[in-house]
Amino acid sequence: MQELTNDDIRALAKAANLNIDDPELTDVNYSLNAMLEAMDAIDVPGVNAVEPLAVITSNTEASQ
Amino acid sequence: MTSQDLAFMSATELGAAFRDRQASPVEAVEAYLERIERLNPSLNAYITVLADEAMESARQAEVEIAAGNHKSALHGVPVGVKDQIYTKGIRTSDASKIRSDFVPDQDATVVANLKRAGAVIIGKLNMTEFAMGDPITSAFGVTRNPWDTTRSPGTSSTGSGAATAAFMCATSLGEDTGGSVRGPAANCGLVGLRPSWGRVSRFGVDGASWSLDTIGPISRTVEDCAVTIGAIAGHDPNDPYTWDTPVPDYRAALTGDVRGLKIGVVRELTGPDAPGLDAQTRQAILDAMQKLAELGAEVEEVTIPMAAHAGVACRVISSVERVSLNPSWIRERPEDFHHNTRVAFMTGELIPAQTYYKAQKLRTLIRSQTLEALERYDVLAMPTGSGPAAVMDLRPGIGSKEQAASALKDGSYRGFFSMVSGPALSICCGFTSDGDGALPLAMQLAGRPFDEATVLRVAHAYAQATPWHLRHPPV
Repeated sequence: MQELTNDDIRALAKAANLNIDDPELTDVNYSLNAMLEAMDAIDVPGVNAVEPLAVITSNTEASQ
Repeated sequence: MTSQDLAFMSATELGAAFRDRQASPVEAVEAYLERIERLNPSLNAYITVLADEAMESARQAEVEIAAGNHKSALHGVPVGVKDQIYTKGIRTSDASKIRSDFVPDQDATVVANLKRAGAVIIGKLNMTEFAMGDPITSAFGVTRNPWDTTRSPGTSSTGSGAATAAFMCATSLGEDTGGSVRGPAANCGLVGLRPSWGRVSRFGVDGASWSLDTIGPISRTVEDCAVTIGAIAGHDPNDPYTWDTPVPDYRAALTGDVRGLKIGVVRELTGPDAPGLDAQTRQAILDAMQKLAELGAEVEEVTIPMAAHAGVACRVISSVERVSLNPSWIRERPEDFHHNTRVAFMTGELIPAQTYYKAQKLRTLIRSQTLEALERYDVLAMPTGSGPAAVMDLRPGIGSKEQAASALKDGSYRGFFSMVSGPALSICCGFTSDGDGALPLAMQLAGRPFDEATVLRVAHAYAQATPWHLRHPPV
């Protein structure tokens, strides 16, 4: 995937009504790009078809 | 019995001594307050010390026990509570400037349960700001590791680890999202239990991540851990996700017998490809497995390929969920956050929805593979982290993208069972070979959802057969 630039991040932040000043911008860039690249690199067969289940509840167990 | 004798006793030993009128809760509180006064200036484990309240509770416990009304193994026992957990009439700050004046008008359910058990709340413990990031983010200053004050006490329940290890309370509560109970337990040579999600109420706890947060004990012994989790666990109508199932007598599970139990050692987090795993930690895990095999457990290697992806998926989920709880703070009061927390909140705001959704799908796969393995094994074993407590970098900032990526991989050790929703316990399994500067090493034992009893049973048998819990930090 293509790395997000500082300008990209500023644009994303604007869309989220968030003001990111320069002292934070570099670190948000490091943090966000590291996360997105790591997630993008995970290529597990069949993952798109998975129905996500955030937590196990007592109802979940009862229905299994 | 001297003041030091009292402070150095385990929580269960103290409780038994109170019950048998061999020791006084008032004297125990005095002993801990003396240590807090002496050590807190250097360790900074407590944000708020409840000296008057604790003395009053101890006097009340003494009267109750003398009258034959002994409530539980924790009656009269001083407990420290992470400053993310509400205490009625007492500031609950999240170690933040934003919440520095917040005084709850009710107790969290776990605090109410501790009080019902007769425990004495001795103070509110330091943590990382909003349970995120490094020890440097606390608005109340950095907490230090009693084993080496230059090193991290583990995050985010920094004070719970430091205070318990330094004998500044008998046992403590932390909160674990991606490892915040197990990390401090590991770095400080303690026993920390992340319970199953739904086993302990989160009512009255400032959330970090709704689908990951759990409240658990950090204790000096497995027995203390069992007694503490027993006191706080159970269904709570105020937390709809708690299960309405009976709380077992966890202490009764501590039989010392592991014969016939099957333990799977997770290859992805223990083998040669485990992310950043240092040689001493790996060897300590292998030695621990050998010891458990000698005790009669069947130990085998098991492969759970999805475990290696747990760190980043867990971080994505927790980052998004953390920010969603109070989205106005980062927009209206950004200057009131520590730089690193500000960066974490801003990053969480910008993670695309499809990335978060993929992380939830990965969680389902991680849980599925793990529960399948737990049909064949009673307990899974792995390191709690890639190595012993690291030297703290007191400078704000992320450093580089590579450092951020490395932290995500390291997060797999504890993020793994945060994603599974089952119980995971960290216990000391050795020390580095640094002589006087030796640091604790730690392993995790994890089990089926709601089977804390088996995890505690294995940990207890291991502790009984090894000397690690007998060492004290040099404070």
